[in-house]
Amino acid sequence: MSRPLTKQEVQVGADLQAWMAVGGGTVLRRGLESPARIIPALEASGLRGLGGAGFPTHRKWSAVAQQPGRGKWVICNGNEDEPGTFKDRFLLSRTPHQVIEGALLAALAVGAANVALYVNPRETASVAMMKAAVKAWEGHDLLHRLSNVVGEQLRLTVSEGSGLYIGGEETAAIASVMGRFPFPSLKPPLPVEHGVDGAPTLVNNVETLAQAGLVLRIGPEAYRALGRDEASGTKLYSLSGDVLRPGLHELPMGITLRELVFEHGGGMLANQPFKAVFTGGPSNTLLTEADIDVKLDFDSLRARGSRLGTGAMIVVGEGTSILRKTAEYVAFFAANSCGQCPSCKVGTHQVSRILERIEAGTGRSGDLEALGHLTQLLPGSGRCGLVDGAATVLASSLRSFPEEYARALEQQPLRFSHPGG
Amino acid sequence: MTVPFHAALSAWRRTTPASSVAGTLPTPELLDRFHPDRQPGAMVPLTLGRSMGQPCRAELAALLQSNALVEDVDIAGAPVLDADVLVIGGGGAGCVAALTAARAGARVLLATKLRLGDSNTVMAEGGIQAAVGAEDSLQRHFEDTLRAGHFVAVKSLVAALVSDGPAAIRWLIQEGMSFDLAPGSDRMGGQLLRRKPGGATAARLLSYRDFTGLEMMRALREATLLQPGITLLDRHPALELLTDDRGRCAGAVLHDLAQGRPVLARAGATVLATGGAGRLHAAGFPTSNHYGATADGLVLAYRAGASLRDMDSLQYHPTGIAWPPHMTGALVSEAARSSGAFLVNGLGERFVDELSTRDVVAAAILREVAEGRGVGRDGVEGVFLDTPSLEAREPGILAKRLVTLTHLAHRAGFDAAQEPFLVCPTLHYQNGGVAIDAAGRTEVRGLLCAGEVTGGLHGRNRMMGNALLELVVFGRRSGHAAAEDARGERPRNIGLNHLADWRRALIAQGLSLARKTPILFPPYGNFDATTDRSRAA
Repeated sequence: MSRPLTKQEVQVGADLQAWMAVGGGTVLRRGLESPARIIPALEASGLRGLGGAGFPTHRKWSAVAQQPGRGKWVICNGNEDEPGTFKDRFLLSRTPHQVIEGALLAALAVGAANVALYVNPRETASVAMMKAAVKAWEGHDLLHRLSNVVGEQLRLTVSEGSGLYIGGEETAAIASVMGRFPFPSLKPPLPVEHGVDGAPTLVNNVETLAQAGLVLRIGPEAYRALGRDEASGTKLYSLSGDVLRPGLHELPMGITLRELVFEHGGGMLANQPFKAVFTGGPSNTLLTEADIDVKLDFDSLRARGSRLGTGAMIVVGEGTSILRKTAEYVAFFAANSCGQCPSCKVGTHQVSRILERIEAGTGRSGDLEALGHLTQLLPGSGRCGLVDGAATVLASSLRSFPEEYARALEQQPLRFSHPGG
Repeated sequence: MTVPFHAALSAWRRTTPASSVAGTLPTPELLDRFHPDRQPGAMVPLTLGRSMGQPCRAELAALLQSNALVEDVDIAGAPVLDADVLVIGGGGAGCVAALTAARAGARVLLATKLRLGDSNTVMAEGGIQAAVGAEDSLQRHFEDTLRAGHFVAVKSLVAALVSDGPAAIRWLIQEGMSFDLAPGSDRMGGQLLRRKPGGATAARLLSYRDFTGLEMMRALREATLLQPGITLLDRHPALELLTDDRGRCAGAVLHDLAQGRPVLARAGATVLATGGAGRLHAAGFPTSNHYGATADGLVLAYRAGASLRDMDSLQYHPTGIAWPPHMTGALVSEAARSSGAFLVNGLGERFVDELSTRDVVAAAILREVAEGRGVGRDGVEGVFLDTPSLEAREPGILAKRLVTLTHLAHRAGFDAAQEPFLVCPTLHYQNGGVAIDAAGRTEVRGLLCAGEVTGGLHGRNRMMGNALLELVVFGRRSGHAAAEDARGERPRNIGLNHLADWRRALIAQGLSLARKTPILFPPYGNFDATTDRSRAA
């Protein structure tokens, strides 16, 4: 199976010459030959934003490219911090030039001279690797040629974020690159019009930029062919939880959940029955046994009422409690709410408190009803999607696994006994 | 092939008092040929976990490489108890750690599988070592301990043990423990009675009659029950350690036996003081250990990622009771040998220096039995412990100083002043265990260990009197360290996260997930093993 982004040959680390030796630089040279053909190539490839939104990449790029003026920015978003997602850190720490070349390609396509490689500072290996990799590009001929085309001196920098989850939100990333606290801001204005220092700004996920490079490298048709059916390209699935072989799996976009879990993941850990999957953030509707044959691409999952998100798949088997997992994730969202929007700040905290109470055996009779109300009240009440994610995962777990909540409220005895018990 | 009891008894009467020792093998050869740990098949390498590749007693390896009793779903909805420090184990080390941590300002949960004080501490008879004599020194205690452990003990641990020794005795006296005083010294300001333990170069063994451990536990138990800041949870065995999202130990899943349901004890630091593994009856030996010694702590710590050491080294106490069979497992205190009682084979001969280290004496006894010079009675085999000639040399010593021994003989239906004991090696102690540093910390953050569950201090053979000292010294050290480590710790996202990788490793090794440990409560009777042994005899 083809793993263009993660195959062994491209894991060359910060060594630029080694990267050039395995075909690095081709993408930029090809782009420099005919910059106007970059965006149409992306359009033909069907590449979509892999940070979770699934927005067609070419539309974002052309929106920034159409903006007049100088001082545009490209932010390569490597803030990755959510539970269960571990794809960007792989690319950043193993194959940094692949990401950088993708970011430079974006700069060329949209006419930006400022490229910020925005990295989660807690991922120290990624930060160190990106710094070394950026240093290796200093004074490189391709950068000079790029500057000439853009018409400004290109600045390629590593920007360490705040280490906060919320910093991964597009507008928060912009605030962070400007040196501010990563508060998400209201849209519009959209970043493509008004981003860093008011200049048009393109924010793309690490994987998206690496894939954009790949599109140019192998051509849009070949790229499309990498995916299953309508879906195009490959996807880095972060597989974790109760499977035998967790880890990062680069597979055709649109592979089925069954294939991912039972073929590539080695099956369920200890052959326990499959229960559910937390996808993406983990802020989406749970996939359950009924969804085992769903294709893991943006459109197929959306049709099922769920979302692909970052491609994180946290698999839950019979031995694992949905309630405990949900409580853990909602607590994560509550702890990572930036606090700007009262409904999010208070709402996620309240949900988290109730869940922890139920989980710790001190739940009250009205708690389930209260949770039900909150899933109605909270969605759509914040500037960004954080509170929506928390409400979605809660509502979905309540809907699909009400018996787990009921059992915790009744405090069941242990399922085994021994001579002393 | 043994000498029948009555023939042996006449041989003993003929030769008593026994002459000097003859025909001993050089120590290395003796141990190689006759020590139970050196027998083929006794050890297997561990195939997963942090100590992969290390040899381990086969019975223990099976327990260590097993699945957990609980899963994530079992703990959903379980009540949570919060504390700064969780201490697991209600023996000596657990009490000392709990007391120390509570006095350092920590809120302590003390969870026991049985009840507070149900432990091997109460069984320790001989005494406690500490270099308090004028002619003794810390250096000598250090060297004796290292030598007895065949020079593989961790020096920093031994140094900590011996240098805290005198302070530990002072502390015990302050807690209300009594010690025997030297003859002639009055009750106020008297000198402690000191005797020479097996393998030592100085008189260093302090005791209270021949139930030192019981007296120690009495004092510790009272102190623990009266100490503010300790919440005692009796009959709450630990089923699994909890870890947080940083892989740090964050407490344990306890089983509330009365309610029959799990309880999560969430703590910033956890001290495991669960003792040893005698109840596994390695190689079919009888054991002196109490009902709860089932290696629970080793199993839990190993699954959570701690490393173990010297798991191929158990200690066999040379003088366990062989006859009457219903009393197997009871020990005749080493105080008997350190007071001068001889060991005599079926031919009425002494065969070993009785004050050698335990492994040597045990191996020597097994050699006598294997080579046909043992004493056989009703299907059990052993050698004589010659208490009558001791009483003859020092009249009154049995009644005054060896109270438990005299009582044992009474229960067995004979008079120790008239007739010798029939003794055989008995599984007594695990020399190895969880690897710790001098503060009691393991390689898993937030997890500390104290007492018999740890390894490294005794090397490959423990000296008598060092176990009681160990539990005090390392109970205090780990209690302090735990209180310190727990300061400002608020574990979040606690769960059984370490188990998924553990189960994957089990599957990768082709090991069964059906076997679940810790075993907690072993089967009571061991009639089958007794029958098998008598059939073989």
